[in-house]
Amino acid sequence: MKSKLLHLIASIVLISMLITACGPAATAAPVATEAPVATTAPVATEAPTAAPEPPIKIGASLPLTGDFSGPGTAAKKGYDLWADMVNKSGGLLGRQVELTIYDNASNPDTAVADYEKLITQDKVDLVVGPFSSKLVIPTSEVANKYGYAFPEPAGGAPHVFDRGLTNIFFCQPASSDVQGVPFVNYIMALPEASRPKTFAVISQDDPFTLGVVEAMEPLLIAGGLTEVLKEKYAPDTKDFSSIAAKVADLNPDLILGGTMFDDSVAQIKAYIQAGYQPRGAFFTTGPSLPVEFDQALGTATEGIFSAMSWFEESTTETNPEFVAAYHAMYGSEAIAEDSANAFTVGQVLQQAVEGTQGVDNAQLITYMHATTFKTVVGPLAFNELGQPKGSFMTLQWQGGTYKIIAPDYAKQVDGIWPKPNW
Amino acid sequence: MSLPSAHLFIQTLILGILVGGVYALMASGLTLIFGVMKVINVAHGAFLILGAYLTYLLFQWFKLDPIISIAITMPLFFLFGWLLQKYVFSRIESPEQTSVLVTFALALILEGLLGAIFQTTARSVTPSYSTATIILATYRIPVTRLAGFVTALVVLLILYYVLERTRLGRAVRATIQDPRAAQLVGVKISMVSAFTFALGVSTAAAGGSLLSMIYTFNPASQGDWVAKTLAIIVLGGMGSLPGALIASLILGVMEQLTAIIVTLYWSPIVFYVFLFLTLIVRPQGLMGEVIREKG
Repeated sequence: MKSKLLHLIASIVLISMLITACGPAATAAPVATEAPVATTAPVATEAPTAAPEPPIKIGASLPLTGDFSGPGTAAKKGYDLWADMVNKSGGLLGRQVELTIYDNASNPDTAVADYEKLITQDKVDLVVGPFSSKLVIPTSEVANKYGYAFPEPAGGAPHVFDRGLTNIFFCQPASSDVQGVPFVNYIMALPEASRPKTFAVISQDDPFTLGVVEAMEPLLIAGGLTEVLKEKYAPDTKDFSSIAAKVADLNPDLILGGTMFDDSVAQIKAYIQAGYQPRGAFFTTGPSLPVEFDQALGTATEGIFSAMSWFEESTTETNPEFVAAYHAMYGSEAIAEDSANAFTVGQVLQQAVEGTQGVDNAQLITYMHATTFKTVVGPLAFNELGQPKGSFMTLQWQGGTYKIIAPDYAKQVDGIWPKPNW
Repeated sequence: MSLPSAHLFIQTLILGILVGGVYALMASGLTLIFGVMKVINVAHGAFLILGAYLTYLLFQWFKLDPIISIAITMPLFFLFGWLLQKYVFSRIESPEQTSVLVTFALALILEGLLGAIFQTTARSVTPSYSTATIILATYRIPVTRLAGFVTALVVLLILYYVLERTRLGRAVRATIQDPRAAQLVGVKISMVSAFTFALGVSTAAAGGSLLSMIYTFNPASQGDWVAKTLAIIVLGGMGSLPGALIASLILGVMEQLTAIIVTLYWSPIVFYVFLFLTLIVRPQGLMGEVIREKG
């Protein structure tokens, strides 16, 4: 009897471990992935007299729930806004745009199934990418299998581009391996005396976050800094108290956090509790979410650095229109970078469809490789692997909001170094 | 692998003990319910998260301190547990086999409902002292964790008092030892079961309140917590309250030490390593003789 019971317990624990291991939110899919979460299909009611052209169907799968739900939801706003603007101005090639967006609950397997379904069953004409490298890597294979172009808003890790795929177009100014470079340049330009001597890397095990921080490591070391600690952690890690105590014990001048949102907040709180006061702190994602980061940390945000693809005050060619349309549709809240990145995908797709006068994916892919696009993040062109040829900016939180401190062409204010205590 | 300095080692030990106390409160209801009813309550993690969300709402709406909100959440959960036992669990035949399925279903339903209401965005309750620390002879003690530890001890002491010093508690212990004999001397088993289940669920409310200010959580976190608490009560001995306390302290300390000595990556795995070691070396757990079954 007892051994039966123990077997039972062992199996339960095993099952629950498996469920947790299947992906951070495999069980958290309150929104049925079968049902399109939203379709922005204001089918033209004022249709002209001629037989209406069928709409251009565009499909995407986004992490609207689960670990990436914050940025995923922001990306959806960007896609929806773009489709709405296109439809209001007469559509694409005179055809309305119909968006189908599924929720993949931040689960790569679900995302793959979603794109299979979009292409083979929903028979969409075009697809656009999900949020973050972890989901872009497997889903781009699906798009490639069917010959679809895959412009995507948030998948810039090295592994996105090293698989020989030619259908990917990463619609941010630079891939993740060079996103932290402007910050490293900023550090190296500091006067010798105040330049940091030591640093630590505490990163989530994720292709994007590791892509950013692991590209910064050798540059910092080459610049004369010593790495005193490097830790990777599982994406669902919640307790940073003891590692923060270890960081405080080693007391590096600079901390690089390879983070999404929740873990950036959890790390910073743990550092505060551990009494660790670095001279500089850089986190990959988290500080770039204007509303949430401030709400979670308040005055502790002061002086924190991050890399940034876009900012609201930017005066690039189409940005003011985008910002105005965004606020008209969603209200006065600050715009997340991810919304702008998704909107950029729409802009690239739109100009490619207009340039090729059709939705033939093979032609679109050729066109996208050869063209420079006008987007809210500035002129965007891609190399043969789909990597963008621009560069990122460095932001720093100052006075409860973030400001661009580098590079010079986008600079709003001077950087503060060393950062105030958090 | 690196050897920590003595200061870091002791600092981590303190963090481990503090978190262990909170784990003990979280696991106490699970082990109690198993002891009396032989029900493995797989929904315990979901109850913890439900308690955390309730605390979150009370904090958002009324700025109620998470520890004070225990005074509201515990009685509510007691009632909830009582009703659940009366109308659901008392109707299950052979609970040792079926209860797992029923409670698993309950966990999924709760997770789905919470997901529909709160989305899966990670939340946490942040009272004014959420990043405050007390410095004691150069060691830093986070106020939330210290408050969590003290609260857990108080609730566990009350629980212990109820079980040891009251008639109802004596009936509960008698039922744990031998339900049939208890019935013969006049213990009303159905009453004891309802009471225990309600008590167990109410500790989850308190555990959830503490969880909400120490960790971030979303509905899917329930899976992590039921796995952790199950590992604790297996190590401690299924049904043993003191066993759960000792196991919690051991696992809390081991988890924190692993993070600084081995790597943070391995820290959550400590629970499962101990689980399997227990099942192999000492299947009855540390204090497992309490649940020795008759015939």
